[in-house]
Amino acid sequence: MIGSEMRNKRKKWFSLNLKGSENQKTNACSCGRTPAGCQAGETPKRNDGFEQVFDVKMGRRSAFKKLTASLLTGAGLVNTTCSVTAGKGAKEKAQIGWDELFKGNYKLMTDAEKEATVKRLVRAYQLRTGKTIHMSAKNAESDVLFGYAFNISKCRGYMDCVAACVKENNQDRKSQMQYIRIHEMKDGKGFNFNEADDNYYHEVPAAGHFYMGTQCFHCDNPPCVKVCPVQATWQEPDGLVVIDYDWCIGCRYCMAACPYDGRRFNWSKPEVPEEAVNKNQHYLGNRLRKKGVMEKCTFCIQRSRAGKNPACVDACPTGARVFGNLLDPNSTIRWVLENKKVFRLKEDLGTEPKFWYYTD
Amino acid sequence: MKGKACYTLFFASLLLCACKRGRTKGEKYRTIIDKIQARSKNYHGVSISSDRYITGQTIAVTENSRTFSIPERKSQITSYACTACHTKPLKEMQGKGFKSAHWDIKLQHADSQTMRCTTCHDMTNPDRLKSLTGEPIDFNRSYRLCSQCHAKQFEDWVGGAHGKRGGGWAPPRVSMTCVNCHNPHKPRFESRWPARYNTQKVEESK
Repeated sequence: MIGSEMRNKRKKWFSLNLKGSENQKTNACSCGRTPAGCQAGETPKRNDGFEQVFDVKMGRRSAFKKLTASLLTGAGLVNTTCSVTAGKGAKEKAQIGWDELFKGNYKLMTDAEKEATVKRLVRAYQLRTGKTIHMSAKNAESDVLFGYAFNISKCRGYMDCVAACVKENNQDRKSQMQYIRIHEMKDGKGFNFNEADDNYYHEVPAAGHFYMGTQCFHCDNPPCVKVCPVQATWQEPDGLVVIDYDWCIGCRYCMAACPYDGRRFNWSKPEVPEEAVNKNQHYLGNRLRKKGVMEKCTFCIQRSRAGKNPACVDACPTGARVFGNLLDPNSTIRWVLENKKVFRLKEDLGTEPKFWYYTD
Repeated sequence: MKGKACYTLFFASLLLCACKRGRTKGEKYRTIIDKIQARSKNYHGVSISSDRYITGQTIAVTENSRTFSIPERKSQITSYACTACHTKPLKEMQGKGFKSAHWDIKLQHADSQTMRCTTCHDMTNPDRLKSLTGEPIDFNRSYRLCSQCHAKQFEDWVGGAHGKRGGGWAPPRVSMTCVNCHNPHKPRFESRWPARYNTQKVEESK
């Protein structure tokens, strides 16, 4: 118990403390004992943040590389912070930039560290645009495993879900990124993706066609997670496969590993008009991304962890989309799985998607 | 002898590796269905609720031993109560000298052999609906009327496979009732243009 409290208090990255005494108490302890007495109860030390980068044995060459990189960053920072002309805002920006640059992987952060990074990101946005966003770092609820069902008989190809998803998740308007694809398929040919059209524009539903949607299926055995070389993507306890956009290096291995085309890459800086930005955000969800990182459907983590349905489910006018808690025996999603003839895409791959298709 | 033991050990570990497929850290489920079944055995409910996303009045419904809520209907019908106008028998309200009403309603629901106004509306008491056998049905429970013919859809709706949810996924469950999505006089969904067309995709595929 003491150990976990200690861990919450302990800072894992280096900060310049430009604001004054506020952060002086890093050695202080909540248990009331002397720091030395506290050490006894501490759990084995984990490396996170700054230490993940610097507290490792490294060769001369990589040490030089890292030193150069940090010197460059540091020089910029010192230039701003020590300048007499730079304003208070600029100094704060520099401090936030430094803290953000050397923060750890979100997966390894304690709740306090999660709150801190979210607070920094909110403040940075405020400094940049003058607008206030709400960003959540809400963890997965216990006894929750999210699942999704899609009624192929009911989808009529209106694409209201796609439009709602783009808006909700602050997707790049310039490259017109979209997580969801609705495929128009010919009747009697089954799921023939080679002949399907996912960018039709005519009155729907077209005669002799049916419609089915794909997006990230949040596999229970996700191949994308396995291939990530930096563990920037992982599966949360509630089944959501998420990405830490600040830890992603943009290698796109996950994009290649996904058999469902569920992942998207930011080839350019994502552009969302300021007035169109959805300000209700989650760290792992729809917060604004940068160039060169992966993103994908998170079942609208900012909504689903708050008890709401994902935006696509809410937007669907035909009720073709069912979302819910797979662990709740009385949930509607469970009824669908137990009473309808459900199947999943490429089941033979063993990816165990949590996205089922069914027909009336 | 030692080599044999080594081989056995090797194959055993290979087998173990093969069985590992589908596992996440610390768990031993082969498929997602196994996982769901095992983990929902001790389901204690969730702390989140979708109460604050439920707007408007709702009424509780219990069908097939499943209990949930549907939106209240009567207050949403513009010309309810019907008896505000229907003070006389229908025969006496037709013809010249009366303002025409319900001119905007054209019944497009099955054919005239099967359906006409009075199949669902009660002539003797217009404030309520009636079943095929003449039993009264409240406007708030109109799904009972629909379920007489659409039994399959009704079953799916009660379970949750048909229809749309109000509120969120978290309990309590609020489901839209039939008339929230379907116009009872013209239940078919209209065909229309998609909400979106991706011009960038067209550009890229050139």
